[in-house]
Amino acid sequence: MKQGTSAELFSQREMAHGHFLMTVRTEAPFKASLPGQFVMMRPETGDCPFLPRPFSIYSVRSRGDDIFVDILYTVVGKGTEVFSRLREGDPLHILGPLGRGFDIPPSCERIVLIAGGIGVPPLSFLAQRCREGNHPARIICYVGARNAGMLVGLDRLQEHCSAVEISTDDGSRGYHGPVTELFRRDIDHHTGGDIRIYSCGPRPMLIGLQALLKDRPVVCQASLEERMACGIGACLGCVVRTHSDGTKSNLARVCKEGPVFDISEIEFGK
Amino acid sequence: MKVKMSVAVGGLTLKNPVMTASGTFGYGEEYADYLDLNSLGAVVVKGLSLHPRGGNPPPRIIETASGMLNAVGLQNVGVEEFIDEKLPYLRAIDSAIVANIFGESVDEYVEIAHILSDTEGVDAVEVNISCPNVKKGGVAFGSDPLLAAEVTRAVKGTCRLPVIVKLTPNVTDITEIARSVEAAGADALSLINTLTGMSIDVEKRTPHLENITGGLSGPAIKPVALRMVWETVNAVSIPVIGIGGIMNASDALEFLIAGARAVQIGTANFINPSAAVDVVDGIERYLAQRGIGNINDLIGTLRI
Repeated sequence: MKQGTSAELFSQREMAHGHFLMTVRTEAPFKASLPGQFVMMRPETGDCPFLPRPFSIYSVRSRGDDIFVDILYTVVGKGTEVFSRLREGDPLHILGPLGRGFDIPPSCERIVLIAGGIGVPPLSFLAQRCREGNHPARIICYVGARNAGMLVGLDRLQEHCSAVEISTDDGSRGYHGPVTELFRRDIDHHTGGDIRIYSCGPRPMLIGLQALLKDRPVVCQASLEERMACGIGACLGCVVRTHSDGTKSNLARVCKEGPVFDISEIEFGK
Repeated sequence: MKVKMSVAVGGLTLKNPVMTASGTFGYGEEYADYLDLNSLGAVVVKGLSLHPRGGNPPPRIIETASGMLNAVGLQNVGVEEFIDEKLPYLRAIDSAIVANIFGESVDEYVEIAHILSDTEGVDAVEVNISCPNVKKGGVAFGSDPLLAAEVTRAVKGTCRLPVIVKLTPNVTDITEIARSVEAAGADALSLINTLTGMSIDVEKRTPHLENITGGLSGPAIKPVALRMVWETVNAVSIPVIGIGGIMNASDALEFLIAGARAVQIGTANFINPSAAVDVVDGIERYLAQRGIGNINDLIGTLRI
């Protein structure tokens, strides 16, 4: 029986403005975490946040019976603001690992990662796991942010990927422009052959990427985020419209059928 | 001491007074990893319509102070798929299974109730006349004592199972609806459903919910729910099930002391998936510690 597992904040520090790296010490169920999965978490004390918050898993490691889960997140509202002020030893209520992770074939020639802003963590985890498992693919990561100060997780990406290409919207570092434009420059190299693409980032970025890849013969999975209440598929609060192979569109739960979807199946709407 | 926790709710016997609220517990199986479903008094499944229903476009939820708004819009698989795909799992559980139902017309309510009446594995029907997210049917039925009675009478006429009618708080006087529904033959009442509310994004200057308004649930509504349960208990003779912001055993005990025969746990399930079981254990502990051997000796013992 899974249960809500007990956990505590092991360490936390601010990486870039408003971006925090939090390590949670918890128990066995998280050992089996897969890249693309997430946790639902809330501080055990206090009324705020009321609902648990979903966080992508950045990394997992074990030491004896302790499992350490790394989470890299940004403060976007009241709930994440409370998290950013938590201290070592603060008890946490955690549920997971949740959701459908990325499908990674045992072998392919190349893996392309496209990360926007705080979309880095699940892709970094994917690269890490591939490296640890001696996956034969060459892993190329395109990572973009609004400016140089908002780029996060570069150290781990550089450790696990064969190449990391950087872009900033304001040109303060790397390519001057959105990460999708940087990817577009190389797109012909990445859309013929034994290649898999994985992406995570702001909705406008994913919409742009979906358009770029339309009608190209390449498999791309995107990890979505949505406001959640239960995180386990019961409340139907987090749905997104999807369709497969020209069938009628239906509603998929980001927490259960997702958060990872084939990018061509997502109906982003307005 | 071993405490007797069994309660009778209008022809439905529950092993304990704790039920899970419709819309917060899926079709039960979603929570199987987190608690033993057999330890619950009853599972009330997601509201069922005659045909599958997609619900409202996202965004559907937003947290508010000590609560949340939802405008899910009654998305469900429809009564046929429920019977074929979801009920088999629930039949294996020995807790009571309550089918929450709704329709856009009296005829629809009757049709669903009729189908479920002869369905093995369903122990009672809870009639939703109160969901505030539905643009047709829902709001009108629950706010009008005559329409509420009409639906009740029609469902009661076709359904062999105990009929629980779930009331909306978005009315001037809930006891008026309660008395009307009792007179129409309801076996029990459950209240409250969500309170209609709203939340606005001050950066985008748009409502947080695509539906604009939604139903408020969670601790924020408990005082209102408790007051309405107490008023209704004093207005009718049929059993009343208390719902609204119950997060723990102490909250549940407030409703029982006020006269509720049973309680439903809803939003608390999102905070703690085993909340309902914790409530059962907590009630039992409270009674044992005070030497109260039977839960029915606690119900309605509010001292005024």
